[in-house]
Amino acid sequence: MLEVNEISKNFQRQKVLSDISFYAREGEILGLLGPNGAGKTTLMRILNQIVKPTRGHISFGEELLSEKHISKIGYLPEERGLYKTMAVEEHLVFLGRLRGLNKKAAIQQTQHWLEKLGILSWKHKRIEELSKGMAQKVQFIAAVLHEPDLLILDEPFSGFDPVNLRVMRHEIEHFKNEGKAIIISTHNMNSVEELCDRVLLINKGEKVLEGNVLELQEAQTELLFAVTFQGNMLAFANALWVGFEITEKKEVSEGIYEVTLQMRHDNDINNLLQTIMNVVKIIEVTTVKPSMEAIFTAHVEPQKEERSE
Amino acid sequence: MSKTAIITFRELKERLSSRSFIGMTVLGPLVVLAVIYLFLSMTATEKSTWNVLIMDKNELFENKLQPKEDPLFAVDFINAFVDYDEFAQNPQFEDYDLSVWINEKVVSNKNVIVSYREKPSEHVQRRLQYIVERRLEEIMVQEFTDLKLQEFRAVKQPLQFTLKDANDPKNKKATQNGWVGFSFGSLIVLFLLTFGMTILRGVAREKSNRIVELLLASVNPRQLLTGKVFGIGIAAIIQFTIWSFIIAVGLWVMRTTLFPDLSDASLVAEAARQGVSEVDVYANQSPFVELLFDQIQYTNMIVFFVLFFLGGYLFYGAFFAMIGASVGSESDGQQFVIPMVFLLLLALASGYYAVLFPGSTAVEILSFVPFTSPVVLMVDLAYGFGEGESWKLYFSLFLLLLSALGVFALAARIYKNGLLHFGHRLRLGQIMRWLKN
Repeated sequence: MLEVNEISKNFQRQKVLSDISFYAREGEILGLLGPNGAGKTTLMRILNQIVKPTRGHISFGEELLSEKHISKIGYLPEERGLYKTMAVEEHLVFLGRLRGLNKKAAIQQTQHWLEKLGILSWKHKRIEELSKGMAQKVQFIAAVLHEPDLLILDEPFSGFDPVNLRVMRHEIEHFKNEGKAIIISTHNMNSVEELCDRVLLINKGEKVLEGNVLELQEAQTELLFAVTFQGNMLAFANALWVGFEITEKKEVSEGIYEVTLQMRHDNDINNLLQTIMNVVKIIEVTTVKPSMEAIFTAHVEPQKEERSE
Repeated sequence: MSKTAIITFRELKERLSSRSFIGMTVLGPLVVLAVIYLFLSMTATEKSTWNVLIMDKNELFENKLQPKEDPLFAVDFINAFVDYDEFAQNPQFEDYDLSVWINEKVVSNKNVIVSYREKPSEHVQRRLQYIVERRLEEIMVQEFTDLKLQEFRAVKQPLQFTLKDANDPKNKKATQNGWVGFSFGSLIVLFLLTFGMTILRGVAREKSNRIVELLLASVNPRQLLTGKVFGIGIAAIIQFTIWSFIIAVGLWVMRTTLFPDLSDASLVAEAARQGVSEVDVYANQSPFVELLFDQIQYTNMIVFFVLFFLGGYLFYGAFFAMIGASVGSESDGQQFVIPMVFLLLLALASGYYAVLFPGSTAVEILSFVPFTSPVVLMVDLAYGFGEGESWKLYFSLFLLLLSALGVFALAARIYKNGLLHFGHRLRLGQIMRWLKN
């Protein structure tokens, strides 16, 4: 669907993006991650043809990305704004028409989406009368009204209460199931784990990491195991000796502990079980996958340290 | 419908539905009419009928002033001279507003003294003078000549030396015409400032509420700029049309109901019948009334007003849009309006200069400078162009539109680069970089 090839962007002498390449496929959600100032917004503006890249090119389907693809892209920017004095329906029809819909289709689509999100009764309200969450829904409709093939969402979940958050997630998943390509930029790592199929991590304008969420988690696993047992904690720790390191421990109830262990040397789960099975009563042993937040931090922190040095 | 048209329509709709626009559309012309009403009230008849005592000791006028009764004057004759104190204090004369002393030697000295209780307006003075003069002519014909009245009027004029400008033989360049042009020019400046500020505030607001990013994902900056400027421009033209209509209706109502005798239609008709010269008729009208109802060539002035307003609006509007797109916040925008206001005041001052010194080299130059030409050309147009000079009008308009296109192209660059910069302090260097990119 979308293929970005070695995109770079300079603002005067400052390099904002450097040789970024990635792709977004139909029926897939790509998480665009990075700390503040990493270049995510610039990248999304380039994808939306708001700014031009200094170098590189972007393909949309079989063609180079151009103005004619505007109607096939939906965009929800992080900095959201609407004309405050316009009525909800009038505003959505206006934005829909700018995205290539004719007036009749824009009215029909507006009606459909307002009904779908249960906000049809707001259609004559002026934007300034809406709460932040209500305005967010209107902005989301503006992004999807023209049924784009590619949806670019910058922090789509900010400002929503848990109920509406679930509604939004459902809609995004629905789009994915319809075969649309979706790019989500967010700092909410739980959303990334729950929604995204792949992630692209950029930092200081450079691509740091790209891949399938599950594969990345497995690749980043440092052989961490969570063990739940009943018995003596001291005996347990003595048995481990130098082959394993306790990274976390807590007493779940009286005499029952939950401990996170990291393997040392060439030890594996068999060695662990052999070591502890005669000392305590094992209740559960599971592999601990690193959270996306941990992966994010692991890749961003070292670069921050380098910069501070 | 093109994207530019969609944006134009939205802008237009927003302006037309805004309370300030509706208020200005209705109140603006009413204020203009109120000012005109005040002027007319000052020059119009205060009383419907003036009681006039004509002191004609020798009964020269034979108790007769004019063939038909004039509703403005109720005339009585007295064959005595009443001095000022007696006229003022004697209860016998208290009903008279004016006394007219026809002295014995009036035929030779042409001197008539009028005393009043309440000063009559210039209009009433002129009318009274006109009537008395006509009667005097009849007497002179009767007493001293064998000529018919018409023949006498044809020859009675004393020798007059009239100085005329060789380049302007019809003496069109009377200053009052210039002021008409200046008024139209001032209206252009008022509209440019009002709607220029609307552009600036609109752009700055779109930046501050961040909708601009959503818009730029759908349209390019040039389409956005063009749509905005066109939409607001159409609103300005609509407002001007409504102003013109309300003022035209207002003037018509004033002329037919409130001040029916303003233009002295009867006087003009009577003068024509009696063979009185055109100069005499005009001498009997107030210059303001004459200017307002007879001299302004509304069609011509309005057509060129619209053309120069459009040129000036595109030219100045592009600057206002540039400022709106460059500033980091709406409040910053207010500061950067000062140079624009200064330029518009300069245009106004140039128009003033053109009224006082028409045809001077400086005015010639200013009439081609796009910053000042919308005002200066309105003054020039009011004075009129001599034969073979009308090219100046069209050339100036052409230069204005050409400059507007140039500034528009520059504005589009600033617009493209400045729109997505928020909360920064504006520096000249940055603007230069935006212009280069």
